[in-house]
Amino acid sequence: MLRKLCLIVLALALISVFAVSAQDEPQYAGLDQDLSGITIKMANIGGGQYEAMYESISIFEEATGATVEIVALLDGFSMDQKLKVDFATGAADYDVAWDHTSFVAQYTPFLLPLQDYFSDDELAPFSPAILDAATIDGNLYLIPRHADISPIHYRADLYSDEAIAAAYMDATGEALTPPTNLEQIDRQARFFVENGHSTLGYTLAGKEEALTGRFYEMHFASGGSLFDENYEPTFNDEIGVAVAELLAGWYADGIIPSDTTSLLWDGVAQYFCNNDVAIKLEWYGWYAYFQDADSCAVAGNFGLARGFTGLSIGGDAVRPSGWAGAHAFSVPATAPNPEAGVQLIKFLASERVAYEEAALGFLPTRGDVWDRVIADASGAENPLDRERLELARIQVGEDFKTPPLIAEWIPFSNIFYPHLQAVILGDVSAQDGLDAAAAETREMMADAGYYD
Amino acid sequence: MATDSNAPTDKAPAQTRFIEVSRIEAGFFPFAMISPAVILILLVVGFPLLYSLYVSFTPYELLKPNSLNFTTARALRNYQKLLNDEVFWRSLWNTIVFLAVTVNLSYALSMALSQLLARVTAGQSLLRTLLMVPMMFAPILVGMQFRWFFNANVGLVNNFLISVGLIQEQGQIAWLVDVPLGMISIMIASIWMNIPVLTIILLAGTLSLPAETFEAAEVDGASGWQKFRFITFPLLAPFSYIALTIMSLDIARAFDIVRIMTDGGPARRTEMLWTYITRLAIEDTKFGLGSAMSWITVSLSVLFTLYFFRQLVKARIVR
Repeated sequence: MLRKLCLIVLALALISVFAVSAQDEPQYAGLDQDLSGITIKMANIGGGQYEAMYESISIFEEATGATVEIVALLDGFSMDQKLKVDFATGAADYDVAWDHTSFVAQYTPFLLPLQDYFSDDELAPFSPAILDAATIDGNLYLIPRHADISPIHYRADLYSDEAIAAAYMDATGEALTPPTNLEQIDRQARFFVENGHSTLGYTLAGKEEALTGRFYEMHFASGGSLFDENYEPTFNDEIGVAVAELLAGWYADGIIPSDTTSLLWDGVAQYFCNNDVAIKLEWYGWYAYFQDADSCAVAGNFGLARGFTGLSIGGDAVRPSGWAGAHAFSVPATAPNPEAGVQLIKFLASERVAYEEAALGFLPTRGDVWDRVIADASGAENPLDRERLELARIQVGEDFKTPPLIAEWIPFSNIFYPHLQAVILGDVSAQDGLDAAAAETREMMADAGYYD
Repeated sequence: MATDSNAPTDKAPAQTRFIEVSRIEAGFFPFAMISPAVILILLVVGFPLLYSLYVSFTPYELLKPNSLNFTTARALRNYQKLLNDEVFWRSLWNTIVFLAVTVNLSYALSMALSQLLARVTAGQSLLRTLLMVPMMFAPILVGMQFRWFFNANVGLVNNFLISVGLIQEQGQIAWLVDVPLGMISIMIASIWMNIPVLTIILLAGTLSLPAETFEAAEVDGASGWQKFRFITFPLLAPFSYIALTIMSLDIARAFDIVRIMTDGGPARRTEMLWTYITRLAIEDTKFGLGSAMSWITVSLSVLFTLYFFRQLVKARIVR
């Protein structure tokens, strides 16, 4: 009898241990419905690491009985084109679509609001800042997948050299530490170039939405705003002019590359990879590339710091930069099986799938996944692996800021960036260039019905 | 006279009816035979063209279906807007400069190449095959290739200039940024792509010219330049106009090159009608405005082509 009792106690103890350890594992979601016979169509982003997530779909199919058909796997800008055409022609016959916080505002008339399909408990793990960016006019249109934001990247050798630090102290009267604001970046970048310590002081993407976004970020960090509450353009204020003049000065003095206005993300990253740049703001997503010693000279020779605060001209309104975006899932209003699509999204955005994707280097959007990936990085050989994640969590949580959530963001960008390029290249003054951009933007916004 | 011979007579009413029916059938039959092709062309080409003309008179935006609405009051708004748009005029000017320089330089270089090739006695077919190589590349690949050549940081041209000591590493030339280097870089890529087809046409023309004329000129003591100036060049005129017409119609293929190399930038320095239309219609989804601009572009292209056709006809008459 006593022996039997002991066995029962032992069995119960083992069960509870297994139960606790099972709870400690990241969990799937969205597997609790019978979707037998339903085919869920999905149009999603493809290429590279993006597609690793879709391998887990077989688990969803097995558990629910649904069949998932991926009808499109395109890069982000191609997906944007496809969605626009499909929405306009009523051909969006899929249940789950890729989406992005920078693009969603233009799609909202064609998307299903999702707030009624997700409970508060299901939404609680997601970053509130990202959910805010996914909510337009009180409707939640996106369920976040992963995010990105930019920290300062700096060449570590420049900041660890005592001779350079002493020379900098002599020249400026301040200690050489990784910069925290735009004025410091300006001083340090110029010092490094003028004294031959670095070929270039800074780099940034110089065309298309990438340039508009970087300006927005510097302007925002300096206390400015692209538009006022009535959507009147305000980027040509004194803060905007100061930011544009800073960029033009950098170009004229060789602080940024001579082909800046031709550069997009890959070109900018290449300069840093070559060890030619002292400081830059760069997306976290490039980390693995920069740390690859086979590809990049800068591998093992850079540090990260939180995004800069802006120019002091902004006074008390100066704040950390934080132009950010999140890849996400949405459901078209014309989806044949919206409920089944929502179930698939619950699965793909679940803690388990998000954790597996974060392990590839993407920044998660869920708090529970952040805890796990930071704990995993504790044992990493390079301490920067963990520092990076801790810093990213702070930035995504506190600094995440999307561009204005208006459908005219891309048309606005297409008006704005050529004028800013003209300023940078010295074709026009900062004030004239931004004034011209503001006048064209106002006309475009008036046509779109923003003003009475 | 045919009317008289076919006039009905009392003697042969049945034969007359047969002849009349045959005439009607003979008149109708060819049209019936080509009607499927005509209907197909009208559906595939005519309808979209007319529809885009209609769209050009509306404020249609792709993601605003209700904006596809014609109103007399704003019918000409898109055209008015474009005529007052500084960027439109700039892109039009850039396009004209690009066309003029690219077409003429391509023609001149192709003419020179074709004359050299015509004189090659051994391995001409191998040279002709090699000449065709650029034609095997899609324009988008040509654009990517030349973008890399002219890249300021890792490009072939700057690295070559650095290696031979013509420029310093810090003084890299921003080929795709500076004025007029950006436009020149695009033109070089486009000319590289155009030369093979033009050279082949001109070479075919040169080889078909009558040898007696040249022999007579040689007897008269004409120099090589005089033979080219007074015999080859005028006799090649029909071939030249055909080549130039094909090229002026085909030049829009340069869109891919421009799109990849500079995308009209920076600061609209290389903006052309094609890149501006794409920006307005595809990226900004302003289909109404984009259609209006496309119609202006097509009209200009048609005028340009008509001019070449007239010159071609004149050249054939002279010959």
